[in-house]
Amino acid sequence: MRRLLFVVMISFGLMAANSYTQWFKPINDVFETIILPIHWVANIPARVSRWSSFRVADSADLQMENTRLAQENLIHRGQIQRMADLAAENLRLRLLLNATELFLGSVLVTEVIGVSPTPRRHTLVIDRGSEDGAYVGQPLLDAEGLMGQIISVYDSHSIALLITDSSHAIPVQVLRNGLRSIAEGTSNYNRLRLRFISSTADIRAGDSLVSSGLGERFPPGYPVGKVIAVTQVLGANFVDVEVEPTAQIDRSKHLLLVFTLDDVGVPGSLQ
Amino acid sequence: MKYSGITPAFVLSIFTALVLQLIPVSGDLIYWRPNFLLLIMIAWIIFKSDQRSIVFAASMGLLADLVFGSPLGVNILLFSLVGAVPLYFSGWLVYFTLAHRCLFVFLLVIFSELMSKFLFSIWQAPENYNYIFIVALVSSVVWPLFDILLRRIR
Repeated sequence: MRRLLFVVMISFGLMAANSYTQWFKPINDVFETIILPIHWVANIPARVSRWSSFRVADSADLQMENTRLAQENLIHRGQIQRMADLAAENLRLRLLLNATELFLGSVLVTEVIGVSPTPRRHTLVIDRGSEDGAYVGQPLLDAEGLMGQIISVYDSHSIALLITDSSHAIPVQVLRNGLRSIAEGTSNYNRLRLRFISSTADIRAGDSLVSSGLGERFPPGYPVGKVIAVTQVLGANFVDVEVEPTAQIDRSKHLLLVFTLDDVGVPGSLQ
Repeated sequence: MKYSGITPAFVLSIFTALVLQLIPVSGDLIYWRPNFLLLIMIAWIIFKSDQRSIVFAASMGLLADLVFGSPLGVNILLFSLVGAVPLYFSGWLVYFTLAHRCLFVFLLVIFSELMSKFLFSIWQAPENYNYIFIVALVSSVVWPLFDILLRRIR
């Protein structure tokens, strides 16, 4: 009983110290490096599953998938041509406005090698670290939209905080009318929440949200989510706005690390 | 904790629990995954109560804090409080039937989940109470594996 009381007191002391200081960060950093091989071992079933599904697929299936991918590639190349035209036009307009250039420079493909083992914390372990030029605060995308940002960088791996984590917030704007807000995580992989939206604001279900670029952490214009419900609570000054993230937060395996123009020239990155 | 109790079987069981805890699962499936570190701790306390004490429970809590990335101390407190229950009843628990021990684990996991949600409410983290019974149920379903394994080692 005496031991239990002692441990309880130590626990409360640690919790208090952890809340108000950064004393234990070095311990966490060392542990993250030690635990990396265990993440690798834990990832073996997923790798085996992917490998076996690839080996088991017959040639007809592979040929069909190949045809589909070739068609998709053609469509995307066509869209990129259109994008290049729009980007050039955007650049000209920005120059006319003397606006700051925030256009991204390059991206680096990365793979998820671990996920947070608890639903409370929405983090990923990715296989790029300081050796690849990754840095704290670097934005992370999947094929559909913004995923999150890097919060810890080690030599060969990094930890990224997802936009759905309850401690994460990202400045966004409504694509239709430019209404600015902050999208907060809710600890639910399928939901974000907009805070402090006035009940008279022009926002409705179906509106697309993109990163606004405010705060200069995330590049502007990347899809963040889609408004799925706007609820007016009786007597409240603000409406509850629920947003579904565009990115496949809990499914994407391969992601992109975004480098801004200042980082161009990182080895292995795609321009 | 008596250090003579650190056998290869003990180390292997902790490592396996750690790997099972870290296997990536997507979406809401994560709510169905039992807390393997907690289960292995309970199993060792029940079946080797002469070698495992509150200090062992606190050490497992420290490991859980580091693995989960939660504020240091939360899981130390949680594991110690949860571990104290089987430690108190350890003399009797080994004579229970497997079904009774499953029920005991079910109740213990519910206690642990409620306790953890209470602790995390200090940091105003949004908590999902819908899955408490599911986690407890899944934990009691997988418990026989731990039970049989640890009984054999004993």
